[in-house]
Amino acid sequence: MVLILLANALACTRPPKTQSESQGASLTQQLTDDAGRNVTLPARVERVITLAPNLTEIVFAIGAGDRVVGNTTYCDYPAEAKNIAKVGDTLHPSLERIIALRPQVVIVSTASQLEVFTQQLQSQNIAVFVTDPHDLEGVFKSIEQIGRMLGEEQQSQALVQKLRARTSAVEEAVQRVPPVRVFYQVSNEPLYTAGRDAFVTDLMRRAGAVSVTGDVPGAWPKFSNESALAARPDAIILPTGGSMGAANANVAEALRNSPAVQAGRVYKINDDHLARPGPRAVDGLEEMAHALHPEVFK
Amino acid sequence: MTTRVTLRRTLIACGLLATALVFAVVAMALIGSEALPARASLCAIVSFGTADCGLGRDQYDILFQIRLPRILLAAAVGGSLATAGASYQALLRNPLAEPYLLGVSNGAAVGTMIALVFFGANEWSRPVLAFAGALIATLAVYQLARGRAGATPERLILAGVIVTTFLSSAIVFVTTLMDATRIRSFTFWLLGDLSGTTQTLLPVAIAMTVVGTVGLTLNARSLNLLMLGERDAFDLGVEVGRVRMVVFVVASLLVGSSVAASGSVGYVGLVVPHLVRLSLGSDNRITIPAAALGGALFVIVADTVARTIIAPRELPVGAITALIGAPLFIYLLKRV
Repeated sequence: MVLILLANALACTRPPKTQSESQGASLTQQLTDDAGRNVTLPARVERVITLAPNLTEIVFAIGAGDRVVGNTTYCDYPAEAKNIAKVGDTLHPSLERIIALRPQVVIVSTASQLEVFTQQLQSQNIAVFVTDPHDLEGVFKSIEQIGRMLGEEQQSQALVQKLRARTSAVEEAVQRVPPVRVFYQVSNEPLYTAGRDAFVTDLMRRAGAVSVTGDVPGAWPKFSNESALAARPDAIILPTGGSMGAANANVAEALRNSPAVQAGRVYKINDDHLARPGPRAVDGLEEMAHALHPEVFK
Repeated sequence: MTTRVTLRRTLIACGLLATALVFAVVAMALIGSEALPARASLCAIVSFGTADCGLGRDQYDILFQIRLPRILLAAAVGGSLATAGASYQALLRNPLAEPYLLGVSNGAAVGTMIALVFFGANEWSRPVLAFAGALIATLAVYQLARGRAGATPERLILAGVIVTTFLSSAIVFVTTLMDATRIRSFTFWLLGDLSGTTQTLLPVAIAMTVVGTVGLTLNARSLNLLMLGERDAFDLGVEVGRVRMVVFVVASLLVGSSVAASGSVGYVGLVVPHLVRLSLGSDNRITIPAAALGGALFVIVADTVARTIIAPRELPVGAITALIGAPLFIYLLKRV
C-alpha cells in the first residue's frame, strides 16, 4: 500500500516532458492507433502493460515478452505470461496497480472501458494504445503496429509473413471444396452463438465454413433454440477446453438431432485459439479447416 | 350461503381464465422465430402430436421439443410467481409485496448460482438450494420489517430493498468466482430466461405450481381473515403462526422452483394479483387460483414477445415483464 502511494506521489511529481524532449524526433515516435488517435511514445519502449490475452500473446510472439511489466488475470499464454504482475482483468483493471508499475505504454483492446481510463492514464504521462482487430487482417495489422512500437519490426514482419503463408495455405486448400454449413456454439444453456461482428465468423469463412448465424447482428447474440434447430447445420463447432475449461463441451438440446450430430461432425476446438485475435488464431483456423475438410489435408 | 356463491364465482372466473389459458397456449405455440404452417401445427397440437398432420420432422421437433415445453414452463413460472405474490400481499397486508421486490427471487437466485458453481453436475441441487435461498430471504425480510410499531408497508418495502441489494452483491460476488466466458450467459439467465427448459426442471416447476396453488387456496379463508389484522384473525380462530409458516414455505417453494428454472422474472407477482383484484374483488379464495391462471397467461404472452421481437435473437423475458410491471408499480405506489 505504502509502495503504491509512493509510486503515485512520484508519478504526480515527475516533471512534465521538456519541449526539446517531446519535439526531438530521435527521442520519441508518433503512432496512430485503431481508434484513430495519435499516440506519442518514447523511441525505445521498455515497459509495457498488455490489457488483453491476445495482446500479451502478440508481444511475446514478436520476442518482446521481457518488456511486459503487467498484464491481466486472463493472460495465461505463453506460460511465462502467468508470472507477470496482474493488474486485474480486461474489463476491470486496477489503475493504481498500472500506475505503480510505471509503464510507458498500456496496450488495450476496445473491450476495456476506454474513455475515462485513457484520460486517467494520460494525466499520469502513460500512453494508451488502442487495438481493435475485427478479423485476421486486423490481427496482422496489430502485430505489425506493436512490432513498430516496440522496435521489433523485423520480428513482427517475419511473424506476419509466416502467419499469412499458413493462412493462404488453408484458404487455397479449402477453395477446392464446397463450404460446410457450421453452427458455432458459444454456450449451450442459454444458447449463444457467434454473430456478424464476431472475430471467429471471419475465421470460419477462411476455414471453408459458412456460419449459419453469420448474418445475425452483434458479436455474441443470444440465439433462438428453434432457429438453431431449423438451421440444420452440417457441422457444429464447440469452442471449449481452453479458458472455458470443461464448460460448453455438450451440444445444445435443440441441436441433438441436427445433421451435424447424426453425421458425427461435432468438433471441439480450443476456445483460446478461436476467441483471441492474436497469433494463435491461425492455429484455430488450421484446426477448424482440418476438422471440417479432412479430405483436403491428407 | 356466501361460501356457495363464492364457490360459483370462483368456478366461473377460473373456468373463463382456464379457457383463455388453453387458447393462449395453442395460439402462442403457432408463433415463433421460425414460421410453421399454422393449420398443420394446430392439427398436431390438438391431436397431442399423435396424428400425422404433414409437419416435417424438424417442424415437429420445434413444436413439441422446443416451443410447447417453453410455453408450459412460462405458464408454470407465471402461475407460481403470481400465486406467491397474491398470498404475500394478503399475509403481509401490503399491496406492494412481491417475490422480486421483497428479495425472495434474489434469494432463490443466489441459491441457484451456488448450486451451479459448486454442485454443477447435480441438476436437483438447483431447485433445492433455490428453495432454501428463497425461504431464508423471506424470513430475513419478515424479521427486518417487524418494528416495534409493527410492520408498515413502507418498512416492508425498505426491508425488501435492503435484502435485495445485499443479495445482488452476493450475486456479483458469486459471478466473480466464475470464469469470464460464462458470465454473459449467467447475466442473461438472471434477468429471467425461459429458453433453458430442461426435462428435469419442467415437471418439477409444473408440479410445484399446481401443488402450491392448491395449498395456498386451501388457506385462502384464513388469509381473508388475516387481511383484517393479525389480532382480529387470531380472535376469529385463525392459527396465525401456522398460516404464516405455510405461506412462507409454500411461496418459497413456488419462487424457488421458478427461479431455478428461469432466473428472476420480475413484477409478475405484482401485476397479476392486482389486475385480478381489480376485476374480481379481493376474496383470496378467488384471487389466488385466478392469479395462478392469470400469471400463466401473462408470462406466456410476455415470453412470446421476448422470443420473437428480435428473432432469431432473444430478449430475457424479465425485461418484458419489468417494462410492463414497473410503471404499474409506480401507479400502485401513488395509491398506497
